[in-house]
Amino acid sequence: MRSRLLAAVGCMIALAGPATAPAAAQGSLEYAVKAAYLTRFIPFISWPDDVFAGAGAPLTICVLGADVFDGRLEKAAASSKLADRAIAVRHLKGPDASASCQILFIGAGDKSLIDGTLDAMKGRPVVTVTDSGIASRGVISFVVASNRVRFDIDDALASHGGLIISSKLLGLARTVQQRGQQ
Amino acid sequence: MTGTRRWNPSVVMALVAAAMLLVAGVLMAIYEERLYSAQQVKNIREQAQILAASVTAAIVFDDRRAAQEYVEALATNPELQAAGVYDGEAHLLAGFSRGGARLPSAAPGEGTVFGKGFMDVTLRASQNGAAVGTVMLRAVTEPVERRYARYGGLILLVTMGALVIAVLSFSQNALQRRAQQLSVVNSRLQEEMEERRKTEEALRQSHKMEAVGQLSGGIAHDFNNLIMIVKGNLRLLKRRLGPDAEQAGTYIASADEALDRAAHLTQRILAFSRRQPLTPQRVNLSTLAQGLSELIRHSVGEKVEIDMQLDAQGSILCDLNQMENVILNLAINARDAMPDGGTLTVATRDVTLNAPPPDVESENFAPGAYVALSVRDTGVGMPEDVRRRAVDPFFTTKPQGKGTGLGLSMTFGFVRQSNGYLTIDSAPGKGTTMTILMPRDGEAA
Repeated sequence: MRSRLLAAVGCMIALAGPATAPAAAQGSLEYAVKAAYLTRFIPFISWPDDVFAGAGAPLTICVLGADVFDGRLEKAAASSKLADRAIAVRHLKGPDASASCQILFIGAGDKSLIDGTLDAMKGRPVVTVTDSGIASRGVISFVVASNRVRFDIDDALASHGGLIISSKLLGLARTVQQRGQQ
Repeated sequence: MTGTRRWNPSVVMALVAAAMLLVAGVLMAIYEERLYSAQQVKNIREQAQILAASVTAAIVFDDRRAAQEYVEALATNPELQAAGVYDGEAHLLAGFSRGGARLPSAAPGEGTVFGKGFMDVTLRASQNGAAVGTVMLRAVTEPVERRYARYGGLILLVTMGALVIAVLSFSQNALQRRAQQLSVVNSRLQEEMEERRKTEEALRQSHKMEAVGQLSGGIAHDFNNLIMIVKGNLRLLKRRLGPDAEQAGTYIASADEALDRAAHLTQRILAFSRRQPLTPQRVNLSTLAQGLSELIRHSVGEKVEIDMQLDAQGSILCDLNQMENVILNLAINARDAMPDGGTLTVATRDVTLNAPPPDVESENFAPGAYVALSVRDTGVGMPEDVRRRAVDPFFTTKPQGKGTGLGLSMTFGFVRQSNGYLTIDSAPGKGTTMTILMPRDGEAA
């Protein structure tokens, strides 16, 4: 059912018009899709082994700034069967180097804070995901195009952090910044 | 060709080979069939695996377009009739179908299913061990009956080929048999022609002798009468002249002598022409030859050794005096053939003839018991052309004035008149054997 829902969401986003400022009420479906995407990236990304405390340790998705997902991310994380480990969701108020995140979602907000956070995460095994509508870009950047939520991938940036992104995922990205090109 | 008609070996071999080919062909067809099926299943499964592995991201992110691209990449394979990608809820996400095939709207269970003319291969698509969806490929398979029809066609061809070979080798053998028969018949024909040629030769020779004999015999007979008249008149003349006419008496004596010689000559011609008066009596040739041995020794001289091998027991009917003449004549001929000496063999033996001896035409031959008398020399021998003409009257190889050419003619005439045969066996340097074959006297002891 979820796929159906996603497809429907894609269409509805198109009707809703360009998603510039993600207001909670207006973009709720868009963020449901994005929350689902965040959990679905997981099987296509390999982190270095030492990132996890142990075999049973959960994978943590951190969300920087306001909770744009309104609890949907926790729901998606809980119901996901794709990852081979449990998914934890943490909300961060600011850049926290000590927090062990494997995926860091960066929503709209102060540009210097965003850039600072992205700089801090550069070279670390963290998949930074930037929301659509912000100029700065992480490893994965959501894009709303052709009435659908899509994403760009900066594979070069990922490689700095020792991350390996499956070519299957790269194949679905709208654009890919290739490795060794930066 | 021995009574019952048997199967030709090469035909049997062709048929056996055909049967073996058929069995081998069927086995190979079955093996190929299994191999083909297994191989096709394997191929399609591999393609399904590739699709399942590559399409996972498209399923997870619900990207129908990407999924469709993956699926359509498979459309280049003409074996595939349909291909479908289903999401985690078994709903059709992307796919293609052609040739009347229809994709199931919901994902079928995992596995391989064979249908009529097609097979479906369904596989789980999973990422990192987690199932994300399903892919299904439908491939055309050749219907069983069509495949077997194809093999049947091959079998038919092989059988036809074998039959053609069998028929060909059969007719080939028949041809060979015919050719063999023909060559046998041909060689028999050649033999018969040769036989006929020889017979004709002998017949011609015999006719020639007959004609010459009749002619010369007729002349000699009249001539002999004339000589007798002249001789009688000479005698009357001598008486009339009386003993005083010494000079005339000398002339008369010399003429008388010439007349004697002429009479002798005509006598011999008459002998050759088989018109001499004969008084046949029972004669044992061995005894006769034994009795003549001293005379023969005397005639042939010191240089020639004489060997008598007188084995014949049987008697014959012939004119005794003429036979003596003949034997002496042959001995003298033998002597003349051995100017430097040699061995003269006189042999007699009893023989039974079933076939005519050489140079005797079959129409004049009577099979039965004979006594053979042969005079053999170790002399110069005769070439074939001379040998063949040896009995022709007035034919001689001796210098002018030395021979009359009537000796052997006379012998031949006498022997034929006595129902016997004369054969001559000779070759240059190998000596000559003259053989007289006389029919044995039936009442002989």
